[in-house]
Amino acid sequence: MRIRAPRDFWSGVMFCGFAAVAILTARGYTLGTAGKMGPGYFPLLLAVLLAALGATLIARSVVLSGESISRFHVLPLAVIAAAVCLFGVLIEPLGLVVSLAALTLISAWAGAQFRLAEALALAAALIVFSVGVFVYALGLPLNIWPSL
Amino acid sequence: MDVISNLGLGFGVALTIQNTAYCFIGVLLGTIIGVLPGIGPVTTVAMLLPISFTLQPESALILLAGIYYGAQYGGSTTAILVNIPGEASSVVTTIDGHQMARQGRAGPALGIAALASFFAGCAATLLIALAAPPLATIALQFGPAEYFSLMVCGLIAAVVLARGSLLKAVAMVVLGLLLGLVGTDVNSGARRFNFGMTGLADGIEFVALSMAIYGIAEIVYNLEKQQTASIVTGAVGRVWPSVTDLKRCAGSILRGTALGAILGVLPGGGALLASFAAYTLEKKVATPPRQFGSGDMRGVAAPEAANNAGAQTSFIPMLTLGIPGNPTMAMLIGALMIHGIAPGPRVMTDRPGLFWGLIASMWLGNLMLVVLNLPMIGLWVRLLRVPYRLLYPAIIAFCCVGAYTINNKPFDLFVMGFFAIFGYVALKLDCEPAPLILGFVLGPMMEENLRRALLISRGDPMVFLQEPISLAFLVAAAALLIVIAAPAVRLKRAEALNE
Repeated sequence: MRIRAPRDFWSGVMFCGFAAVAILTARGYTLGTAGKMGPGYFPLLLAVLLAALGATLIARSVVLSGESISRFHVLPLAVIAAAVCLFGVLIEPLGLVVSLAALTLISAWAGAQFRLAEALALAAALIVFSVGVFVYALGLPLNIWPSL
Repeated sequence: MDVISNLGLGFGVALTIQNTAYCFIGVLLGTIIGVLPGIGPVTTVAMLLPISFTLQPESALILLAGIYYGAQYGGSTTAILVNIPGEASSVVTTIDGHQMARQGRAGPALGIAALASFFAGCAATLLIALAAPPLATIALQFGPAEYFSLMVCGLIAAVVLARGSLLKAVAMVVLGLLLGLVGTDVNSGARRFNFGMTGLADGIEFVALSMAIYGIAEIVYNLEKQQTASIVTGAVGRVWPSVTDLKRCAGSILRGTALGAILGVLPGGGALLASFAAYTLEKKVATPPRQFGSGDMRGVAAPEAANNAGAQTSFIPMLTLGIPGNPTMAMLIGALMIHGIAPGPRVMTDRPGLFWGLIASMWLGNLMLVVLNLPMIGLWVRLLRVPYRLLYPAIIAFCCVGAYTINNKPFDLFVMGFFAIFGYVALKLDCEPAPLILGFVLGPMMEENLRRALLISRGDPMVFLQEPISLAFLVAAAALLIVIAAPAVRLKRAEALNE
């Protein structure tokens, strides 16, 4: 068997994966009956449907041919996703200034045309703008500096 | 006349100094993000949601709506001058618009785009004012069975009208529905799919999810594409089209408006589909000589009219049924719910000031947009010189601050990081994100209506076929699926959507 449509195949795998996680997690939920649906009824219905759709995509991908998948640029993706999570880690203990600086510098670095001086200037501008607009003008409850 | 007195009420709300100012801010921001490629209305509205907490619901809705239809104006500027769509819905405008710019007719191209948009925006707003009240009256009589079938029909229509593979789009809808169920079940209080994380007790934050997919994942996707921009920066020249031009385009503008207004109402439709369809239609019916593809002005006028009409009428299902037709509308529903207003047919009767104020603000906003776009075009051109490497970290920063301030919950940032990765993978695999977002919003509503309908019928699923309105929705959904699965139509659809 050869995979003729890799994009279909891997989306099928992805959907089946989500469905499997949903079915395994929903095992313990009360099903109930159609007239008195428990918390597990609708999710299980959807998960089975999703698994069927994923399986169809996989089955179809060995019959019909389709486009190949363009290269995954793992590094920028991982760096930016990590920067977003890091912002979540830093925002409460260290405040807006430090977490925005880290976020901006890291995500600028993830691009192909990184220039340090420019990124520092950008981070400074974003910090001034955010503190001015979000904290002072809108009064959102954000720490500016590390709370010790 | 009811409509007139209602509109009077609406203008009373929209014309207060405060709301006029928010309308202006909305359309200004909309124009800016419309001009800038790589940031769309979904992300912008999401970023502004925390700000709208502090406003009156009327002001918040006027502001956020302005961003959406303002973006349709701004998108054409980039399309014409740079040959890159500033907004997805201005993709087709690049075809003839940029050719015109290369021939030194950038001015009239921008002018006709703005005028067509203005006409379409005004006409479609009138349509909302006329069509929404009777629709809401009908919707008030809907029971759970009708609502459930309506949502099925809406989701199917959204899938059929989406680009790309039908099967993947259906799967994305189902996945979206499942993700929407994460959190505490309102009926039993059971915690579902929280994987032991307390952060998921209230479900996945919608703003974090949509910013991850439309903001962060898109950025990573854009970073790997080499931007080959050819900005036509020479003199834009006279912006006003000549009388001959206007006469030539009048028919196209009217056709574009009509087609856009109809397609905008459909779920999954809205601005994007409308512009594609209008261009395809124009190529078939415009009076010769036709020079589509090499700078025909009607190739700018029709899609620009259509995307604006579509953007306006896509408010109809949101306002009358409480059902979003596209991700931006889903976001506006979120904004209403933040203010404790349940979207649906009752909004019109319970909060007439909100409903008619929004409609009145649309006329106001369209007028402001013409003024913003025609004389100030030079300013927007300069905005295009901002390089993407400066723009994208700023977008990421605002997304993160926005996602955090919604609930002051650091956990939402982890959700955003996770779905950024998911969104990127989905983009790479050709899985359209819009159906997922719609499914996500409709998930809990669908479960609740299914549960109630079956409770009333004592578990008999035939109830969906016995209620005539419900049956009609289901038949329509089935018909859509059958039609789209037919090979001949499938080819046509691929042709129309991929041109």
